[in-house]
Amino acid sequence: MKNTVTYNYRFLKLAFGLDLFIILCIGGFSYKHTQDLKKSVELTKHTYEVNIELKDLLTNIKKTEISERDFIISDDSSFIDNYNRGRIKIAENLKNLDVLTQDNALQQTNLDSLNKAIGQRLFYLSETLEDYKSGNLNSPGFKSSFELGNLKMSSIEKEVEIMMSHEDNILYERKKQSEKALSRTPIILYSVLILTLLLLLVAYAIINRDLKAFKHTNEKLNMFKESASLSEIVSRHGSWTCHIDDETYEFSDNLYRILGEEPQSFESTIENFMTFVHKEDVEKLTAQVERMVVEQNLPFIYYRIIRKDGEIRHLKAYGEAYTNDDGENKLIGTTADITDEVHNFQIIEERNEELERNNKELSAFNYVASHDLQEPLRKIQTFISRLDDKESKNLSEKGKMYMDRIRKAADRMRLLIDDLLQFSRTNRADSVAELTDINIILEEAKQENLEVIVEKKATITYDEFPEIAVIPFQIKQLFINLLGNALKYSKEDVTPHINITYEKVAAKKDVNLHYMPENFYHKISIKDNGIGFEQEYAKKIFTLFNRLHSRDEYSGTGIGLSICKKIMDNHNGLIIAHGKPNEGSTFTVYIPEQLS
Amino acid sequence: MQNNSIKILLADDDEDDRLFFTEAFEELKIKSSVSTFKNGVLLMEYLNQANCVLPDLLFLDLNMPKKSGIECLKEIKQEQRFKDMVIAIYSTSASEEDIEKTFVLGANIYIKKPNDFGKLKKALSEVVTTNWQYQTNSLNKENFLLRL
Repeated sequence: MKNTVTYNYRFLKLAFGLDLFIILCIGGFSYKHTQDLKKSVELTKHTYEVNIELKDLLTNIKKTEISERDFIISDDSSFIDNYNRGRIKIAENLKNLDVLTQDNALQQTNLDSLNKAIGQRLFYLSETLEDYKSGNLNSPGFKSSFELGNLKMSSIEKEVEIMMSHEDNILYERKKQSEKALSRTPIILYSVLILTLLLLLVAYAIINRDLKAFKHTNEKLNMFKESASLSEIVSRHGSWTCHIDDETYEFSDNLYRILGEEPQSFESTIENFMTFVHKEDVEKLTAQVERMVVEQNLPFIYYRIIRKDGEIRHLKAYGEAYTNDDGENKLIGTTADITDEVHNFQIIEERNEELERNNKELSAFNYVASHDLQEPLRKIQTFISRLDDKESKNLSEKGKMYMDRIRKAADRMRLLIDDLLQFSRTNRADSVAELTDINIILEEAKQENLEVIVEKKATITYDEFPEIAVIPFQIKQLFINLLGNALKYSKEDVTPHINITYEKVAAKKDVNLHYMPENFYHKISIKDNGIGFEQEYAKKIFTLFNRLHSRDEYSGTGIGLSICKKIMDNHNGLIIAHGKPNEGSTFTVYIPEQLS
Repeated sequence: MQNNSIKILLADDDEDDRLFFTEAFEELKIKSSVSTFKNGVLLMEYLNQANCVLPDLLFLDLNMPKKSGIECLKEIKQEQRFKDMVIAIYSTSASEEDIEKTFVLGANIYIKKPNDFGKLKKALSEVVTTNWQYQTNSLNKENFLLRL
């Protein structure tokens, strides 16, 4: 948009310049045209003047002739005056003609021969007049002079004719020339005028279009301004502009609201604003504002304000330099009310501290359980073994049975403490996932259960596993527990068989994974042919201390599967149990392909 | 070493454990003299005597009042005089952290106190009969914790 406008602006400038130039040209043309017209009028006038003068000359010569004849016929001396006046007029005519034809050499030559002919004619006239005065009217001299005079008269007429026709010729030629020039001028003027009009039209169209675009943009801007001011209210922030050159400010309406004031209720100066700032933050903010004006940049700054009702609000401000097309330097900034965030942050901090305290207490408890509780138990067990070795022969049968009961209870307590410790140590925080060969882990888990496997002649078959990113010792514990369970809950009359399968599954294609975040999971299933369980207990068996059998049927603490569940939680994975009484159970674990 | 009786020291604050320890050696039929100390301070006082007969084997409990087993271990390892002394850690806990720490500080073996007297005897007999001259050279973290 901006580029188009700039481009149009350039075009308009060019069009205007061109129009101006064309109009100047038209002016020049018109002036020249008028000058030409004036010249041609003058030329015509000149030609007429010459022709009139020539005709006047002929008339005067003829009048002079007639006056002389009248005198000779009537002998009235008044005619002789006319004759003399005619001669003077002829001289005047010749003088005028000389002036009029000054700029034409040919006409001057013609005038010279005319002058000569007139001189001869006047000579013969004065000859005849002299002859009349001396009374020699019948002398041959008078007669020849008279005839020669007449002859000269016709040559004068011829000369005049030549001059007039020459003058007409000149007029005709010039007229033709100027007419040719003048006939072209209107066409040129007209087409140039059309061109100018066209340019003006295009310019008008462009201006009109730009105006429309400006109007549209303006509307958009207005809407944007409205929505910006709404969003300021919703998101609790205000905006401001700092004109760096004269250090004046503009505040948005919501900035006033953040300060707890009515919009535009006081002058937007930095001094007025500073009256709201918390006393402890004034120095910091002032320094930042001064830096902002110098460096034309405001980094994130946090400060507090106190509203008139005494409420303290936490604000965060940020600004960036902006230079407009006119080279005016501005700083455009945003100030957000982050009081709620600050409060929430404080709450989270407090909760974190509490959690940390709780965690510390928990690990202290762990230590107590691992060390202090084990110690007396260990001694009880050792003393029992001492009694068994050394003193059992001194005991009655009942006493021996009680001893046995005590030993079993102590063993069970040992089991419970160990399992509980195992459970509480299964934490994510201090363990790191690494690419692990599951085949090795599984082999190690088998070794841990070797005694039972040999005793029950159990067979275990399993697929080839890839390397998977896991916390190795936890996954090993998982396999130990799951294999241990499969072996423990075997059917008495059937050789235990455990089958472990592996496949990689897409979360979309496995019904158990529909609400899991990752795309792909490693699926490991451990299937046995043991006593199984009712499917309705499938979820319950993973809760702490939950057992499906009484202790005299199967030993156990009810912690093993809870540890398995916790391990899978640590891996962002899943463990699911399927059981069918008397047929067996299947435990399926899903480990995400990408363990973060 | 085989010809003379083996001199063994134990520092442990627990009275019962000291009893099990001495009784185990009595039953083991190994020519040995066992002395016990209630805490680390008493042990170090004894060792730092100029005319003291240095033990062949020292068993150190970790969690003791006044001076812990770790502190005793540090002090002993700084003293050139004690360099031939074989040191066994004898503790209730077998946390990774304790095992790592004592291994780095230069203890020879780590025994987790067993909960059966028979196992205790077995463990102590194994430690006493080990040829430590040879064992020290192949000392590594894998066999540092005594497995029964």
